[in-house]
Amino acid sequence: MSAILEVVNLTKTYDNNVHAVKGISFSVNKGEVFGILGPNGAGKTTTLEMIEGLRPITSGDVILDGIKTAEQPYLVKQRIGIQLQSSAFFQNLKLTELLEMFADLYGSTINSLDLLADVGLKDKAHFLVKNLSGGQKQRFSIATTLVNHPVIVFLDEPTTGLDPQARRNLWDLINQIKSRGTTVIITTHYMEEAKFLCDRVAIMDDGKIVALDSPDQLIRQLLGRGFKAHTEVPPATLDDVFIDLTGKTLRD
Amino acid sequence: MNQNTRSLLALTKASLKMYYRNKGAIVFSLLIPIALLSIFGFLSRGRGTSIQIGLTNHSTGEVSKQFVEKLKGVKAFNIKDITEEEAASELGKGNLDLQVIVPENFGAMESDKLVASTIQTRFNKAKPQSGQIANLAIVEIVSNLDRQLTHSPSTLDVKSEGVTTNNLGYFDFILPGILSMTIMQLGIFGVAFGFVAMKSSGALRRLQATPVHPIYFVFAQAFVRMLITLANALILVTLGTYFFGFHMVGSYFSFAFVCIVAILIFLGFGFAIAGWAKDETQVAPVANLIQLPMLLLSGIFFPRDGFPTWLKTITDYFPLTYVSHSLRKIANEGMSLVQLPVDLIGMSVWLVIVYVVAVRVFKWE
Repeated sequence: MSAILEVVNLTKTYDNNVHAVKGISFSVNKGEVFGILGPNGAGKTTTLEMIEGLRPITSGDVILDGIKTAEQPYLVKQRIGIQLQSSAFFQNLKLTELLEMFADLYGSTINSLDLLADVGLKDKAHFLVKNLSGGQKQRFSIATTLVNHPVIVFLDEPTTGLDPQARRNLWDLINQIKSRGTTVIITTHYMEEAKFLCDRVAIMDDGKIVALDSPDQLIRQLLGRGFKAHTEVPPATLDDVFIDLTGKTLRD
Repeated sequence: MNQNTRSLLALTKASLKMYYRNKGAIVFSLLIPIALLSIFGFLSRGRGTSIQIGLTNHSTGEVSKQFVEKLKGVKAFNIKDITEEEAASELGKGNLDLQVIVPENFGAMESDKLVASTIQTRFNKAKPQSGQIANLAIVEIVSNLDRQLTHSPSTLDVKSEGVTTNNLGYFDFILPGILSMTIMQLGIFGVAFGFVAMKSSGALRRLQATPVHPIYFVFAQAFVRMLITLANALILVTLGTYFFGFHMVGSYFSFAFVCIVAILIFLGFGFAIAGWAKDETQVAPVANLIQLPMLLLSGIFFPRDGFPTWLKTITDYFPLTYVSHSLRKIANEGMSLVQLPVDLIGMSVWLVIVYVVAVRVFKWE
C-alpha cells in the first residue's frame, strides 16, 4: 500500500511556549479511513490544520501526495477537501450557489444537483444553510469538501452534536466516499464511530501519538496485556436499543 | 479563463447575491439619506433668498413713484404694499426684513425748491443682515434720486456689474454633505459590520481552506461595495435634481471622481476596523468613535466658519472635510479638480494612511 500522506516529526510550539504538538510521525495509506482520536486539547485539530496548510508548521515535514505542505500550501489545498470543526458559510446563498462558488475557487466543474443528491440533500437545493438541520448542515459541509474531487478529505469531528440517526447516516456517507477510493482522515470523540469507520486510528494525548493501529488490533493488544472490562459487555448497547426503537431513517 | 480571475468572479458574484438578498440592509442604507434629503429639500423649497420688504407709501407724487419703481426693480427684494401698522406687526413676527415708510411730502416741491423729507426704515434688530443690506440699497436709490433732482454732478461713484450667479440655495449646500455622509456610513459601518460577521461566524475561515487567498474576497467585497455606494449616490443626486432642484454647476465627471476616491477611503476605514476587530461588539464603538466626530464637525450640515480657530484647524484635516468640501466646490462653484489641489492631496494622504493601517492591523481570524 502506498502512503498518500507522510507526517515526520511534526511539531507545533506557540509563542507563549505552549507545545501543542510534540514531534509526531505517521503515514496514511491511499484509500483508507484514518482516525485521530484523543481528549480535548490533545492536539488533534492543530495537527490537522498543519497538514492542511491552515496553520504554520513549527518544525517537521508534511508530505501530501508528494507535495510538501510547508512549501506549497496552496497546491496542497487544491488537492484536498477540508471540513472545519465549526463550518460556517456565507449567508443568503442557496446550497447550489455555494457549491458552485466553491467549485469555481478550485477551478473545478461540478453538477451541484448530483453532488447534493450524493449527500441526500437534492430536495434542499434551493434552501439557505441557516434553514438546514444540524445533520443536514454537516452533510452539506462534507459536500463542499468534494467539489474538487480531492485525494484526501479531512473531517474534524463531523458527528459531534448529531442525533444517532444523523450520525449513522453520516457514517454511510463517509463509507460511500471511501468506496470511491478517496482517503478520509477523521477526528472524533466517539469510539464506536472510530471502530465502525476507521481502518487505522492514531490515539493522541498531550501532543503525542500514544498508539497507532487498527481498532481490532488495539483491542487485541489491550486484552493481551491482561485487561478485563469492569462489566460484562452486553451483546447489544443502549445505542442499539435507541436505533431499534426509533428507526434508522433520518428525522431532519 | 485564468484561475485567479475565475475565483475573483465567483466571489464577486457571491458577494453581489449576498447583498441584494439582504433587502433590509438595502432599504435602510437608502432610507436615512433620502429622509434627510427630503427634510432639507422641503425646508428650503419656496423660501427663496429674497429680502422681504413692507412698503407704505403716503406720497402720491412723481418722485415717490420713481422711488417705488426703482425699489421694485431690485431683484433681491420682495416688496409688499401694506399699512404702517401691518408692517410693524409683520416685522415683529419676523416675516419682514425691512419696513419702509415714504412720507407724504416725499419729493414735493415748494416754490421751485425740493422740500426736505425723510424716508423712514425699520429693521429687525434680531436678524439685522438682510434689513441692513436692504437699507443700504435704499440709501443708494434715494441719493441717486436726490442727485437727479438737485442736478448735482456725481463726482464719486461706484460702478457695479451684475454677474451671473448660480442661484444657489441651502439645498445645494446640503446635498453634497448628505452624499458625503452616505459614502462614509456605507464604507465604515457597512463594511465593518458585514465583514466582521463573516469573520466571527467562520465563513472567512472556510474560505481559507480553499486554494484561494482570502485577499481576493476582500477585493470582491470592495468592488461590490463600490458599486452599491455609487448606485446610492446616483439615486441621491437624481432625487435631489428632479425633486428639489439641485444645481450641478461643475462637471459630473469630477463629482463622480471625488465620490470614487471617497468610497475608497471609507472602504479602507471599514476594512481596517473589520480586519482588526474580532467580532461585532468591537466594531461598534470604534466605528462610532471615527464616524461621529466627522459627522458633526466636517461641515456636512452647516459651514465650519463659526468654529473656534483650533477646532477649524483640526477639522480641516478630516477626510470627510476634504470630501464634502471638494464635492461642494465642484457642484456649487463649478471648480475643476485642478482647482482643488489641497482636497486632492488630503484625500490621497488619507487613502495611503487607511490602507497602510488596514494591512498592518488585519487579522483573518
